[in-house]
Amino acid sequence: MNLTRWYAKAMLTNGSLWFWAVAFMAMWLGIGAFLESQGVGSARSAAVAYTTSWYAVVVLIALSLLAAVIAGSYAYGSSALAYAFRYSRLTPAGYLGSLVGGSALLGLVLNVVLLGATAGMFGLRFATTLVPVDPVALLGVSLVGGAFFMALSSTLTLLAINHLGLRSADFVGYVPLVLSFVLGNAQVYVALPRWFLYGSPFNDLTSLLYQGYSGNTPTVQLGTATVPLGWVPLLLGILVWTGSLVGCTLVLLRRIRSRHLEERRQI
Amino acid sequence: MLEVRGLEVTFPGATTPAVRGIDLRLDRAKMVVVGANGSGKTTLIRSILGLIRPTAGAISLDGRDVRTIQGDPGLSTNLAEVYRLMSLPVRDLVRLYALLKGGDPAEMEGRLREFELDPVLGKRLHELSTGQQKLVGDLFAVCFQPRLVLLDEPFDNVDFARRRRLVRLLQELSADVLLNTHELELLGSFSGWRLGLMFEGRLLGPFSVAELDRLYLTRGVAPEALAVLETSLGTFSVTRDAGDRPVKSATSLNALVESLA
Repeated sequence: MNLTRWYAKAMLTNGSLWFWAVAFMAMWLGIGAFLESQGVGSARSAAVAYTTSWYAVVVLIALSLLAAVIAGSYAYGSSALAYAFRYSRLTPAGYLGSLVGGSALLGLVLNVVLLGATAGMFGLRFATTLVPVDPVALLGVSLVGGAFFMALSSTLTLLAINHLGLRSADFVGYVPLVLSFVLGNAQVYVALPRWFLYGSPFNDLTSLLYQGYSGNTPTVQLGTATVPLGWVPLLLGILVWTGSLVGCTLVLLRRIRSRHLEERRQI
Repeated sequence: MLEVRGLEVTFPGATTPAVRGIDLRLDRAKMVVVGANGSGKTTLIRSILGLIRPTAGAISLDGRDVRTIQGDPGLSTNLAEVYRLMSLPVRDLVRLYALLKGGDPAEMEGRLREFELDPVLGKRLHELSTGQQKLVGDLFAVCFQPRLVLLDEPFDNVDFARRRRLVRLLQELSADVLLNTHELELLGSFSGWRLGLMFEGRLLGPFSVAELDRLYLTRGVAPEALAVLETSLGTFSVTRDAGDRPVKSATSLNALVESLA
């Protein structure tokens, strides 16, 4: 049973999600383009590198906001899911498939909007055309990114719902956001080791977004040498993470516990 | 067929069970369970739905343990929490649950019109009044050809005219029904139904609503007791045709027991 269109509709008509994941993040792009860019050199290569770094980190954080929304919907619907799996034709696998589809679609929509905002604002600031080199690859990465954040958020939230309670589920919902912020910015400002950049799904996504937008291969410093990060292992990395987390989500969904919504109240 | 044997539920941190020793069998029948707030009626329904893990006992539906049931759309309920799968307008929720239950959305839309609830179709559940939410849940429960309907306080916050319509709808429903209420005065509407009395987590019965006029509560263990109730206030017996207080005279079961204690 495919509920993708229902999920897509519920998420696409969520005004709060549009505000925080699109308008709020577009505001940060504006800060990056017009306030933080004073020290960027006039060379086109510098403008491209600067623009792409902002774009990659902002998309990563926007996708993590999508994850926070999904986490909240689990906490709200634990009884509905437990009931539906027993007393309707909905199966955990069907539900998860729909959620993967809906999240991937929303990841795509978020990326397209932020892509337009990035190209427009940074292009205006640097008075040059800054369109992405490989938009098709970027759209593919955003589909995978949406699915990854859905799976990460689902695994963490369901672990909390099944074993800790709704109070913990509330906090767990912020973990993808915090990790995205820390690791996305760390890649820009800190020399992270190669194994970490390949192994971290957040940095796989950032690197792929960087490459798709700028056309430049992201690099890592190894001693005195600058070594490129290959897109194949980066893509494999994010796909393995997504697949593993989808598997974990399925196991946890089959055992979902009904929690009383009032349990979520913190104070 | 619903069968509950020796059900006991103790919530984490609680010293006494919320329900205990409950035996119930419902096969091509309708039953109303009357009890005060906190007597364990909702816990019984949530246990049957699989939303609560019992501490002891077994619950089966058509011979299958409810803990192992998957994909059986034959059981439905009016509990609002189970219709929160997504944040959508009621119109979309109707179509979604019709799909999940294998029913026709037109049936539910027709019922909503019948109850003059068409204006809620474009609204989300949290935008409805408490009574509207309750009625939408009630109608979800009875639509899409259920075999067993579990109704928790279906008349709460519902106006008099719609209560009458709902009673008529429940009378005409071909499914088995287990209905919880704390309102003893409503029992007159369900004369052909079985009756259960719930007090401090214990379920007494089944009796018949038709024989309500003949049921009495008596302090202690009466020789002709139909059922014996052990409570924190002492031991009481349900008797027929004679006893200390007629059950029908009470405003609530709690008040009746307390008047005898």
